[in-house]
Amino acid sequence: MRMIIVSMRTDPKVLPRNDVPMPAPALSVKNFALTHAGRPLVHPLTFSIQAGEGVALLGASGSGKSLTASALTGTLPDGITASGEVSFCGESAAPGRTAAGTGNAALIRQDPQTSLNPLVPVGKQLLIPLRRSGLNRADARIQAARFLVQAGIADPTAILFRYTGELSGGQLQRVCIALALACGSRTLVADEPTTALDAVTQAKVLATLRTWGAEGRSLLFITHDLPAAASLCSRALVMEGGRIVEEAPMAELLRNPRHPYTRRLVEAATGAPMLAARALLATADTAAAA
Amino acid sequence: MTAALTAHGISFAHPSRGFRHRQPTETLANVSLSLTPGTSTALVGSSGSGKSTLVRILLALANPSAGTVMLDGRTVSPGPARALRWYRRAVQYIPQNPAGSLDPRMTVSQLLMEPLRQLRVEGNHRSLIGEALDRVEVPATLMGRRPGELSGGQNQRVAIARALVVSPSYLLADEPVSGLDLPLRDTVLSLLDGLVREEGLGMLLVTHDLATAARICGTTAVLAKGSIVEHGPTDQVLENPASPAAVELVKASAGLQLQGTVPAVAL
Amino acid sequence: MPTPAFLKVAASRIAALLGLVVLIGIMPWLSGRGAEYTILRARYSDREPTPETLAAIRAELGLEHGPLAMLGSWLQRVVTGDLGTSWISNTPVAPGVVAALSVSVTLMGFALAAASIIALLIGVPAVVDGLRQRRGPASGALSAALTSLPEFLLAAMLLVVGAIWLRWFPPFGWKGPEYSVLPALALGIPAGGLMGLLLSDAVRAGFGEKWVATWRLAGAQPGQLTRAVLRRALPSVLPQIGLVLIGLTGGAVAVEKVYAIPGLGRALLGAASAQDIPALQAGMLALLALALLVGTLTTAVRYVLIGPAIRFGTLPLPDPLQSGSRRRLAVPAVASASLLLMVMAGLVRDPFTSAHARLALPTWALPFGADASGRDLLARVGHGAVGTLGTALVVVLVCLAVGIAVGLFPLAATGPLEVANAAPPILAGLVVAAITGPSAQGAALAVAAVGWAPLAAHTAALAQEARAQSYVQILPVLGVGRARIMLRYILPAVVRPLLRHAMLRLPGVALALAALGFLGLGPQQPSPEWGLILAEGIGYVERAPWTVLAPASALVLASVLAVSLAGAGGTAVPASPPQNTGKLPTTPAGTGRQRAAVR
Repeated sequence: MRMIIVSMRTDPKVLPRNDVPMPAPALSVKNFALTHAGRPLVHPLTFSIQAGEGVALLGASGSGKSLTASALTGTLPDGITASGEVSFCGESAAPGRTAAGTGNAALIRQDPQTSLNPLVPVGKQLLIPLRRSGLNRADARIQAARFLVQAGIADPTAILFRYTGELSGGQLQRVCIALALACGSRTLVADEPTTALDAVTQAKVLATLRTWGAEGRSLLFITHDLPAAASLCSRALVMEGGRIVEEAPMAELLRNPRHPYTRRLVEAATGAPMLAARALLATADTAAAA
Repeated sequence: MTAALTAHGISFAHPSRGFRHRQPTETLANVSLSLTPGTSTALVGSSGSGKSTLVRILLALANPSAGTVMLDGRTVSPGPARALRWYRRAVQYIPQNPAGSLDPRMTVSQLLMEPLRQLRVEGNHRSLIGEALDRVEVPATLMGRRPGELSGGQNQRVAIARALVVSPSYLLADEPVSGLDLPLRDTVLSLLDGLVREEGLGMLLVTHDLATAARICGTTAVLAKGSIVEHGPTDQVLENPASPAAVELVKASAGLQLQGTVPAVAL
Repeated sequence: MPTPAFLKVAASRIAALLGLVVLIGIMPWLSGRGAEYTILRARYSDREPTPETLAAIRAELGLEHGPLAMLGSWLQRVVTGDLGTSWISNTPVAPGVVAALSVSVTLMGFALAAASIIALLIGVPAVVDGLRQRRGPASGALSAALTSLPEFLLAAMLLVVGAIWLRWFPPFGWKGPEYSVLPALALGIPAGGLMGLLLSDAVRAGFGEKWVATWRLAGAQPGQLTRAVLRRALPSVLPQIGLVLIGLTGGAVAVEKVYAIPGLGRALLGAASAQDIPALQAGMLALLALALLVGTLTTAVRYVLIGPAIRFGTLPLPDPLQSGSRRRLAVPAVASASLLLMVMAGLVRDPFTSAHARLALPTWALPFGADASGRDLLARVGHGAVGTLGTALVVVLVCLAVGIAVGLFPLAATGPLEVANAAPPILAGLVVAAITGPSAQGAALAVAAVGWAPLAAHTAALAQEARAQSYVQILPVLGVGRARIMLRYILPAVVRPLLRHAMLRLPGVALALAALGFLGLGPQQPSPEWGLILAEGIGYVERAPWTVLAPASALVLASVLAVSLAGAGGTAVPASPPQNTGKLPTTPAGTGRQRAAVR
């Protein structure tokens, strides 16, 4: 198995202006490893994400990609220890712990239901970071509504007073993105945010995530859904067995997948879509339509 | 009387529960649908559109507030297991995440034996089980294994074999591939496609994804907010969606396809 | 949940409450031929028990008209405020009950204050750990064991230490605030300990929920976060705190007896031992009203705290706390080994003959000394273990069978389950003793009558979980009928964890039996029963402390065993200590059930 150490400074394809001094990357991870009771779960990883860049972390379930996400946002489960260096915009952070209100990285998960307090209206939860930044209640509320609109929610005032139980998965996912906006986070770690959603809602959440990068924010998109990743990210890391086994710009990865797992992903994604389906349809039993 | 599984004018509403009644609930309004042997129909809709409720009614697990389900002219309604045997023998079901629907404590042959015994199917049960496993290409040597000792794909096939073992005329498949990795989806869909084409089963494939529907179904019905808003040949629905809900579904599937977003992809 | 389920639960609750009232109302009839003899002995000692006299008394009581007519006239009188006339003193019972109730409520107020302080002391470290993002261990087995000491034992120990050795507090009576300190502590330490443990577990689980990380990232202040977590944690423990408060009424019986406090508990105990059923009826009604009040209050507070979220059924269930490491198995191992050693050594000795000097000092030949009749205490404790634990085993098996049968039909059983869960075994023991007279079988019946509830709640939760499995949900489509689903699929899935849970309840049930023995509601002299041995010894505690020490140490070991086993039991069993004399905490499954019922 080939282990590719991803480093911005040695990859000319991703770093075209090699001569210009770079600002600190939005997220930089060095020799980052996770172990459980001495057993390695994630082998030392090194990668970084530039400001404004969208990077996909692809892998099957159990490849270690979700654990990496929770470690980066300080939500590791019990008993797992993290080591290595993590820094956001040049500021180093202790891996595996949440630093209160740093606004560095926000996390959205597959199950947005549990990411928000069920006993507090979502509007009040959006106010936490806004009030903390010194806004008064009225201004904060206006700002919260604005962030909800930005996150793709059409009628923010109705949503503000709702509880998580009253909102659909897609709406909650967008509320979480609005919360990330309100926190002023520069980096969003999205852990399978669309897996549990139906096709229409998926499309809406993906559209919201696309606008996330609009103002120079970065995205680490964790998924096994290659088409969704391809629609959001310019670069991809492929994880298997706790290691990064392939790293390439997205277009390159789709055209020329090298690792077997990547190849399977690409085949499956290009094998099932509309064009192939239509070809099948042509031969389908048209009498059934009547 | 032509052979058909029909749902006619099905409506469904939850009994109101006063102030507690705030949760979004699935309702159905005057839904009609007909399945004939040898054809497959896709029932497409986003979550909350009423798909699962309709499936429960078609399986005689829930009572519609109006309308009837009929098999070959005979009306079906929920009741004790004994009274529904004839229906269960004719209409079988592949649930979401079929592999999870296998009792982990039972062996493959026990799992397949249960419907044969409970539905009082006549004939040599051993050989029926062998045939069913053969149809889904599971080697007969695995009969003594338990679900935990099989791969995900094999479990998937065993669950399909369990639906087939009673030789039904109709299959209701509820999101049979949505929980699967992309590579596995293909094989399961081809298997279902073969059952319709070669063995003449009538199939209703329930899905939220038009692409899956397009893959194997000749007819597509789009369900939105409890009503069928579009019903016709699948390619017509894809090319020329008339209702806003169908337009949204087509757009969503297109957005998830690689060629829509990365022009340079070589297919 | 559709309407019928909601109605079923409500109907079941009302039926259970009515059943309880009916049970209280027909107690004189249930007590059978005992009633007229009781009255004859108490009031007309000059008369012979001729058939005529007895018939006259029966007619006076209305026993001739059968249970229904008697229930009717009793209810009529109760509604008009007439609680009846004592069979013993032939005076109205109402004034006595009111006076006793006011004493008991005062005592419970003090006990509650003590309990709150203790609960806070236990709960604060959980909050601090949570704010510092430390995943502290669940509370230690030793502190849990201390808080699970049955009230009658704790009352006896505090009496010896606080009133006799230190002489800081008066030993008996109810004349001023200083008289309330020891009883309040005896009631408040176990209750507060249990409340604190439940609260700190809930707080730890609350801090472990994912939204806390979201709030942290959003920059929530520690105060803000603490308030939100407490608001999240409290509703899940409030039903159990309500149960602990109701359980205080059972503990109060023992504590009021030890400290000779003229409260409702002691009045009830007196009424039960004298078979003065009208007085017992009145006291039981008062307690029922008190329990309803507490239950309603905790439910109301819960609704206020949860707010509208309850309607959407979105409260995430806390992850089961992790436990069961090898280190935590050490405590139960040591406790059971010592207990076993004591029992083995005692079994080979003779517990009945008075072969030694009265109150003989412990020596090598007589390790635990002798009691007031000169009997070998080690032998009595050893033989007592067989009797107490053997009875407890039978009780547990009965509870298991009833619990499984009831738990498989959880909706219809909600009401009886809640009643049995809240009813302290001591009160059940009082009722049974009043009806049949005190006996070992009566005590076992009383403990079994309320002990099935946690097992039924656990069964219901497990069955619900099993039913939700997709491999069970598909069964109707395969033609599998209801009965077969229940017997072939659900039952095998629930039996194993339930059997384990039931066995872990064994020491707790033994303690409940001992409590009844201590109060004289269980086996009678000269049976070597732990509670009875302790009750005998307590009269000589100043002269011969070893008479208390021997049975007390056995009981303490059983308590430690009960709690530590529950801790090591992992997810099969509640994180809270198992049942003890005065209280029956529900399993987390129980909270799940209640949560489901509220929706």
